[in-house]
Amino acid sequence: MTGRKLIMNFEVTPTSHTLAEYKARGGYATLGKALKMAPADITKEVTASGLLGHGGAAFPVGRKWGVMKPNPGEIHYLCANADEGEPGTFKDRWILENAPHLLVESMLITSYALGVRHAFVYIRGEFDLPYRRIQGAIDEAYAAGLLGKPVPGTDFALDIVVYRGAGSYVCGEASGLITSIEGRKPYPRNRPPRLTVRGLFQKPTVINNVESLANITGIIRMGAEEFRKVGTAKSPGTQLVSISGHIAKPGVYEVEYGYPWVKFLDEDCGGMLHGAKLKCVVPGGISTKVLTRAEIEPLTLCHESVNPAGSGLGSGGMIAIAEGTCMVRFLQVLLRFYHHESCGQCTPCREGMGWMHKIIDRIVAGKGVPEDIERLYAISEANDGTTICGMGDAAGYATVGILNKYRDEFEYWIANGRSKLDGRLECRA
Amino acid sequence: MKHLIPDFEKMKERFPAGFESSLVLPCLHRIQADRGFVADEDIDGLVAYLGVPRVQVEEVLSYYTMLRREGIGRTHLQVCRNIACSMRGAEGVIEHACKRLGVKPGETTADGQFTLSTVECLGSCGTAPVMMVNDAYHENMTLAELDRLIEELRQP
Amino acid sequence: MPRLTIDGREIEAKAGQTVMEAAREHGIFIPYFCWHPQLSVPGNCRICVVGVDDKGGEWVDIACNMPVSEGMVVHTNSEKVRARRKATMQFITLNHPVDCGICDKAGECTLQDYHYEYNGERSVSVDAKVHATKHHDLSERIVLDNERCIQCTRCVRFTREVSKSNGLGMISRADHSLVRAAEDGSFGRDPYSDNVIDICPVGALLSRSFLHKARVWYLKPTASVCPGCSRGCTVNLWHRRPEWRLKAPGMRTANESIDRVTPLENPAVNGPWICNKGRDLAALLGRARAEVAMLKGRPAELQGAIARARALVASARRPVAVVSSWASNEELAAFKASLGARFATFVKADCQPEPGEVVEDALLIRADKNPNTAGARALFGDAPLAIPPDADLVLVWGEGLDFGLIPPGAAIIHLNAWLAPENGHADVFFPVSIQTERDGHYTNFAGVTSAFAKCFPKAAGVADAAALFPALAGAGGGE
Repeated sequence: MTGRKLIMNFEVTPTSHTLAEYKARGGYATLGKALKMAPADITKEVTASGLLGHGGAAFPVGRKWGVMKPNPGEIHYLCANADEGEPGTFKDRWILENAPHLLVESMLITSYALGVRHAFVYIRGEFDLPYRRIQGAIDEAYAAGLLGKPVPGTDFALDIVVYRGAGSYVCGEASGLITSIEGRKPYPRNRPPRLTVRGLFQKPTVINNVESLANITGIIRMGAEEFRKVGTAKSPGTQLVSISGHIAKPGVYEVEYGYPWVKFLDEDCGGMLHGAKLKCVVPGGISTKVLTRAEIEPLTLCHESVNPAGSGLGSGGMIAIAEGTCMVRFLQVLLRFYHHESCGQCTPCREGMGWMHKIIDRIVAGKGVPEDIERLYAISEANDGTTICGMGDAAGYATVGILNKYRDEFEYWIANGRSKLDGRLECRA
Repeated sequence: MKHLIPDFEKMKERFPAGFESSLVLPCLHRIQADRGFVADEDIDGLVAYLGVPRVQVEEVLSYYTMLRREGIGRTHLQVCRNIACSMRGAEGVIEHACKRLGVKPGETTADGQFTLSTVECLGSCGTAPVMMVNDAYHENMTLAELDRLIEELRQP
Repeated sequence: MPRLTIDGREIEAKAGQTVMEAAREHGIFIPYFCWHPQLSVPGNCRICVVGVDDKGGEWVDIACNMPVSEGMVVHTNSEKVRARRKATMQFITLNHPVDCGICDKAGECTLQDYHYEYNGERSVSVDAKVHATKHHDLSERIVLDNERCIQCTRCVRFTREVSKSNGLGMISRADHSLVRAAEDGSFGRDPYSDNVIDICPVGALLSRSFLHKARVWYLKPTASVCPGCSRGCTVNLWHRRPEWRLKAPGMRTANESIDRVTPLENPAVNGPWICNKGRDLAALLGRARAEVAMLKGRPAELQGAIARARALVASARRPVAVVSSWASNEELAAFKASLGARFATFVKADCQPEPGEVVEDALLIRADKNPNTAGARALFGDAPLAIPPDADLVLVWGEGLDFGLIPPGAAIIHLNAWLAPENGHADVFFPVSIQTERDGHYTNFAGVTSAFAKCFPKAAGVADAAALFPALAGAGGGE
């Protein structure tokens, strides 16, 4: 067991996602409680809970909300970011498929707190079942009178649109997401202004990750104080970890912050595939730096433990990598992805992603030159903090993380024209 | 496209007023679901319906990987090749699919039955490798399952 | 009013300004490709980075999107800034073909200038460049070289924000993004399309009419005013420098032609833009010229024609003049001073909108297709043209008058720059100079007066109207 559960705390059955069963579990009771509170008190409670964003950057949710002042008559928007695209990450999908009403209830409470009349769920276009589940839940909520008209006994009403993406990683970046909802190419935007000042169609907009929002109902139900009893002092609550790669039992696990990392892998996830040894692990989506087995040994799964080790829990997309995996080929797949997903708007990412992809392809083709390693470092550095959105940085972190630890594999391939490790990405029995 | 306008009007209901530009993507999804791709005349119709610049629709169509302006095979096989899938055998699945179908990724079989594509992360890393058959995810894909699927989907 | 320090200089900025704007206003240069004072701020080229002192040391970010704040300490040339710019220049030139030898933009290219200023090193890449369309017809007027394009999107934003044709877009993604014209042809119909050539910081957008016509350093600009409508946009007329004259026989036309027209930025009139009609001034002013004086259609010496005209003026009892709205203020004043008291004078429109031409719009184009209607009316009033039936002499200055309006018995003195059938119907005809052959001023519809300067000598038989009028008034005529 991975500690206490706040979200995955019910038995999943073929009908557990429906309104009837959600209500039977006590669903929408918290909405009633929230609507009796002053909107500002909800934000206060969320701020007091210490809830950290689950999209990757771990930005305090309350601080983001605090920028929005729910002045009557002023238009504000809320977007749930369900554009789960960071490779290795599939935990929001669990919520969308299995607990869609938890998200809807949370969005109702959040919208009430922030003075929002129209909210959006931006969901990646490839997600078919998750789309049907969240759209189904919203349709149920409309039919039940929870959406579309004032909630009985109040003058608060909310409309939720499920907005489907169409295949683009940068739509997961908050400003890219907003530009996408505006019906244009999803070019991310420069800050300032923050999106909470000028967001969707220039109106103040809060964009929260699905998992972040899903926690709101629980926080209001139990109160910030109770919520803070789960997890650690600096990382309150839980994290949905989606684990994949060379692991025996891949899947989504709700992990209470502070849970020992190695125990999680060895016991809860059944250890490595085919009894292999762990080489390293991607902690939270490919944009976080890999950590070796030795590095994670003393760590627990919480921000204050992982960040000082030079990486981060990011989006909770964990990838376990077995001994024998070729990290040159590994990086090649990542750089191909970043190149494919660069929107092309700003110079360092547009040019840098293609350049790094060419270099790694050339190395793998046996035509690497010794300077290539320094060049990959230099391109990563020239993307660090220089791009409009965080994608350029992310590609650089991934690259530097792997180069720092597995430089010998790159040097070997460049010197000998072949992999030091068979060029394998799979883990054989 | 004109026969889809009632659908567009229905979608519009839940949007705030003045969000015509936002409807570009949902309308394109709807058109593609109807025709299989977005034809030039659909763009003309959509531009007239929404009152957005045509170039905006062209940019959107060219940007998103799921939207297309030309038809493809009756069955679209999309194999994820990102890292989690590659670590669980996606490269072998792609190679096998190419051999079985006699096409390279991005191509359509001569009989117009299958189009094979490789795609980046589908958010199904825990059940890798994953392949989409049209809109549906097929997870934990194996070569045997791929053979079975191709047989099942192949129409006389 | 926030006070900040840029490169050690304390300046007072305006609230709401960016560091880029404040620096420029105080004459401090920060390089930029994508930024443009008249366009939105995309912040995509990343070359305008500056350093800002902070507790944690110097942080670096783009100046074009950085709001000024009180007490800010900014560096435009610190070590960090230089390193960042150099890395950015490496990215920008990574897939640029550096084919300056065959590029029309060479010599006035921002990328070239910045390369020498901020990079100065050859590319460190050993990989092949991305290939793209080398010659793409964006419209009938404009050719696009996608390999040279650095994707600053200035052109795209121009069509969105200024000309509002939405004629251009950026399709696809990553390093294979391409500028493309909308498929509905709106860019081809955009009457301001050629401005994208000027604002392109590289040689990606090229004028078909100027394509490979001249290296820009062989040309020099002469300030002028577009006569295409009453907006009177200030322009630069580019023509061959005297020191680079082509010496082969028969090259007079090449040496004395307008090779291209660009806007001469003017906040009071046209900002940094002009319309495509202004770009085509070479054609407008290059029509077949009248170069010989005539008496009743027969070629005559200029002096003989002057003598005959002077006699007609002297003997007229009811002389009427119809003056040109293409004449300069100087010429109009000369007429008024010499002959104004003798003649009942009307102002006419020399030119009307051509079929297919944009008549009027909200940006620059005016319905009155004459440059100096306001200047002429200031001197001669705006009475509607009505030649009295008892007029016995009509002086017609410029084109555009229906000679059928002239009473049958009246003598005609006609001044025109262009070849036209009417020229031969006059008792006396004078070929006169055009604006590229003399200095002068036009006053636009809003009362703003702009100057134009001489580019070329006039042909031997051609007269300057300003010199002609005193001669016609002499010996018994005029005052």
